[in-house]
Amino acid sequence: MGFTTILDILGSIIIGGLLMMIAWRLSEAATERTFNNSGELSMQQNLSTIANIIETDFRKIGYCDNYNKIPDPTKAITFADTSSLKFLTDVDSDGNVDSIFYYLGPTTELLSTPNPRDRILYRVVNNEAPIGSNLGVTRFYMVFYDALSDTIPPPVTTPGIISSIEINLMVEKVAAFVDSAAAYDTIPGAFWQQIRLVARNLKNR
Amino acid sequence: MSGKATIFVIAGFSLLFLVIAKNFGDVSNRAVDNFIDYHKETVSHSIAVSGANLAANEIFLDPTWDDGFSNRPFQDGELDVSVQIIDPYQNIRQVTARGTFDGHTSIVKVKLAPSKFSKFAYYSVSEGGTIWWTGSDTVWGPFHTQDYMRVYRHPVYYGKATTKKKLIYYTSQSMDKPYFFGGYEQGVDLPLPTDAVDLMEPIADDNGLKFHGQDTVYLTFDSDTLKYRYSFSSPDTTIYLPGAAPNGLIFAKDCIVRMKGTVKGQYTIGCSSSGDPNKGTVYLDDDIVFEKDPRIYPTSSDLLGICAENSVYMTDNPPNHSDINIHASIYCEKGGFGAQNYDTRPISGNINLLGGIIQHTRRAVGTFGSGGIKSGYAKRYRYDDRLMIASPPFFPGTGGFEIVSWYE
Repeated sequence: MGFTTILDILGSIIIGGLLMMIAWRLSEAATERTFNNSGELSMQQNLSTIANIIETDFRKIGYCDNYNKIPDPTKAITFADTSSLKFLTDVDSDGNVDSIFYYLGPTTELLSTPNPRDRILYRVVNNEAPIGSNLGVTRFYMVFYDALSDTIPPPVTTPGIISSIEINLMVEKVAAFVDSAAAYDTIPGAFWQQIRLVARNLKNR
Repeated sequence: MSGKATIFVIAGFSLLFLVIAKNFGDVSNRAVDNFIDYHKETVSHSIAVSGANLAANEIFLDPTWDDGFSNRPFQDGELDVSVQIIDPYQNIRQVTARGTFDGHTSIVKVKLAPSKFSKFAYYSVSEGGTIWWTGSDTVWGPFHTQDYMRVYRHPVYYGKATTKKKLIYYTSQSMDKPYFFGGYEQGVDLPLPTDAVDLMEPIADDNGLKFHGQDTVYLTFDSDTLKYRYSFSSPDTTIYLPGAAPNGLIFAKDCIVRMKGTVKGQYTIGCSSSGDPNKGTVYLDDDIVFEKDPRIYPTSSDLLGICAENSVYMTDNPPNHSDINIHASIYCEKGGFGAQNYDTRPISGNINLLGGIIQHTRRAVGTFGSGGIKSGYAKRYRYDDRLMIASPPFFPGTGGFEIVSWYE
């Protein structure tokens, strides 16, 4: 074994090491990218799904297939606050009046998740037990407007005065790649806003 | 050898990069797809809603319209609208609007029912001068005026309020803004018909009860029976009402009606005039109430419509000097609902009205001063919620439809 052989071996080790480092770094970067991109994808899917459900439900405030069962739709909203809303509707269009209650759970409910801000957005139909899944909702708040488009200051003591609703929804990833407080300060979120949702049944008569 | 290894290394890394790049690309595409799908759904939904609105407008302009739209291009998509009569007896129609945009379809279903004036808690063509709705006024059901709505210190409207003319604030919006619990729309033109009472006559001829050739008809409802006479002192004739007026319409042609009593069932009184301003007037000589008050008996089906071609007055007589109870939807085609001798009669207590008032011109029921009521009545009007979905038989309709259910 000559000097050149030793040089070859050393060279190979260095080049191999470099390649391994590159591969390792590549793997780490790919993992982080995949984690972040997949997380963002999930976040956006969660957001659009929640937005769809909320829009579908809220547009049906005061709706009943048998309209005689809600003779006065102005009374369809039974409770309204900045992050909770209870109303009468007909969930499955079977002609029976149902109630839906949307409300945001506390952050303390999800202490086990890495993101300190995520909460469960509950959708309770009739008297079902509240069940929620963590979709990364960090903000859900509504602004209510009266018939003359003036803001109704919360809490809304007389829900019948509500004519339209502004809905704001913020969804964040439930976990950051690096689990640190600083990471959650800058974690990306997706925001959806319905500027004026008018439930057409609410004031149709 | 080293050349081959280099090629393998480069090929391996290239493959790795390609796979990773493809995955990243897929994730990005799916993220964008998400928003595109949401956008497409939103657009298709907007097209469907627009189709429903277009159809509702066509029906508003022509209540017999049922042509629909077929494959009509709209907002780079397509809309289809069909109109079906889903209840021929009640003439309930359903508009089904289908919006299609780039493979996404949304459906909106709207049910429309004939609109009757009886649904109003308060309707007027003219507010009878500069009369202000004040903070002590509450209207419990749908409200409409063809006139200005003059408001002072936050009056309250629990039903939907509509006006043809604008809102006028006594001082400013912040000081006088009304509370609209049922919404508010301005610019709604809903004229009162001019011949609705006359049109009741053939219906009464068909299967109702008709009085004619008399100056005055005195009617006393007594549950299932109706007592009537043609002069104050003559004896009553008693008839079994469901047999005498099977369709529920009692019509007095070209005369004055004086009525009172307890109503069982669903009836409408029509009172016409052939031009004499004194005729076509209904006087309420005493309480006219349901046998079963729906506030006590929620299943009560008793309903009463009082339709005068001219006016409806609360008679200035002793029984009416200490409150009057009225359970009816009152319709005054050319006149209004008021108190006879409102400015000279004694203080008469309260008008306890359960129903609604539809009148051409707002009339006075009393006079008021700084010390309170000086003559006539104080108003205690409550809306009969059942009028949102039911109406007395053959009560005048608006000629149009109203949306009773909107599914989207």
